[in-house]
Amino acid sequence: MTAREIVTRIQQQLASQKINWRAETVDTFKAGDPETPIAGIATTGMATFGVLKRAAKAKRNFVITHEPTFYNHQDQTTALAQDPTYEAKQRFIKENQLVVWRFHDHAHALRPDPLVAGSARALGWTAYASTTEPRIYNVPPTTLGALAADIARRLKGRGIRVAGDPAMKVARVALGPGYGVPPLTATFDVAVGGEASESGGNSEYLADAAASGQPKGVILLGHMLSEDFGMFEVGEWLRGFLPDVPVEWIPAGEPFS
Amino acid sequence: MRMTRRAFVQAAAAPMLVAPQQAPPPLVELTIAHLVGRIRAAVGPWREKTIDGFKAGDPSVALSGVAVTVAARLENLRRAASAGCNLVITQEPVFYGANDEPANRASDAVYLAKKAYIDQAKLVVWRFSDHWSTRQPDPRVVAIADALGWKDGPGNDNIYRVPETSLSSLMALVSKRLGLRGGMRTVGPPDLRVRTVLVSPGTTDLASTVARLKGADVVLAGEPREWEVVPYVLDAREAGAAKALISVGRIVSEEPGMRACAAWIRTLAPGLRVEALPVSDPFWNAAS
Repeated sequence: MTAREIVTRIQQQLASQKINWRAETVDTFKAGDPETPIAGIATTGMATFGVLKRAAKAKRNFVITHEPTFYNHQDQTTALAQDPTYEAKQRFIKENQLVVWRFHDHAHALRPDPLVAGSARALGWTAYASTTEPRIYNVPPTTLGALAADIARRLKGRGIRVAGDPAMKVARVALGPGYGVPPLTATFDVAVGGEASESGGNSEYLADAAASGQPKGVILLGHMLSEDFGMFEVGEWLRGFLPDVPVEWIPAGEPFS
Repeated sequence: MRMTRRAFVQAAAAPMLVAPQQAPPPLVELTIAHLVGRIRAAVGPWREKTIDGFKAGDPSVALSGVAVTVAARLENLRRAASAGCNLVITQEPVFYGANDEPANRASDAVYLAKKAYIDQAKLVVWRFSDHWSTRQPDPRVVAIADALGWKDGPGNDNIYRVPETSLSSLMALVSKRLGLRGGMRTVGPPDLRVRTVLVSPGTTDLASTVARLKGADVVLAGEPREWEVVPYVLDAREAGAAKALISVGRIVSEEPGMRACAAWIRTLAPGLRVEALPVSDPFWNAAS
């Protein structure tokens, strides 16, 4: 089966789950020849150079990535044309007959969103999901400090950043992967997500809420620690309708040392 | 809030710090709008499209003092009021959105409390971000270099030549001088040799990083996106380049620049009370 044939199968499966293919989407081939015969699939949060090397070694020459391959949301490469890092990555893809395809918009359209479900599973929160409110998890009452320590231990995160009073009480948590950290409101205690801008938003709201006597917390896992696990879920979903193609999860991992 | 007679006399009697050919400040009551007019005239051409401008309060009132901060959080608004400053100049938004629109927080208690405080304390909030951060050389870059003791730079590319060091020693220096808690994150090995540093506060964008990192060992970043500059540096390392990234967070990266902004505003209105209100690293690390 070629990479293009696999993508057609994915589109058919999405249609059977009532998810129509969007006219405008970043879910396109990013590198390599779509007509390449595929030995195996690697799913990953991001097709970093390191992930591509591991995929080639494992003979998973079709890399399905959630985030960009070339460092910007649209994977525009004009400005990178003479760049040695970009050139080395493209050369490696060609030499190893890899194909890279992005699965972002339509992955988030699946229900449940595998990117949320994957993080919840990695955090051990699946059973705490609210049945009525999307993205809300009613965790056993704890403190922000204890919750953060538990998360760091489960995800083995070195660079997980937390804002808020470690002693604050926590029972209701909102979980949003990637750049979709849920905006803090009065209705929950802590927002957990990937990455966010400190320009206004939750950063400012948290400080203002604390100053007016309403403690809030934010836990930023980092983009990959919040979406790699979702691409494991996507791999399981692919296995369901692509029984003849080996599927392996190759997480990009936390970039920070 | 009116300027007291004593403050007014002090302001009028203060020594001149401006060039002698410039006219002395007029001996009439200075309003907030007057001071902002002076800042706008001094900073250069005003953009048609900008996020800079008044976000709250009535600028026609007499100016009692200026509080300059990277983020006009409720805590800093209170500090400004108790220091006798009725103008708050902020780099980052005061109302949660990039355009200072509270959006779906418009009926939220936290927003309403902040708005009520501003009204009750008769504060005026003016945002000063676009025009401040596009001055040349970038005052945010120069202020970070000053805090780190670097003299040889920035040139046109915001790169500094620094006394040769290792990545781990550079991290320790940055952490100490910029007052980091858990906000620092690094890509690259601790023993990497460092002679040149690209200083890129705020949103550390991909285009300038790709163009400039060729001439530097490390990019000292504010808020690099984790699908842009972060994997670019990671991949550069994987491709064999001895590069590294230190990310300190947006607020920490802009903090020295706003202290410099306070000092600059002092030169525009000698004798005026100008306070720099700090915002510290909001983050701690989950694993420690």
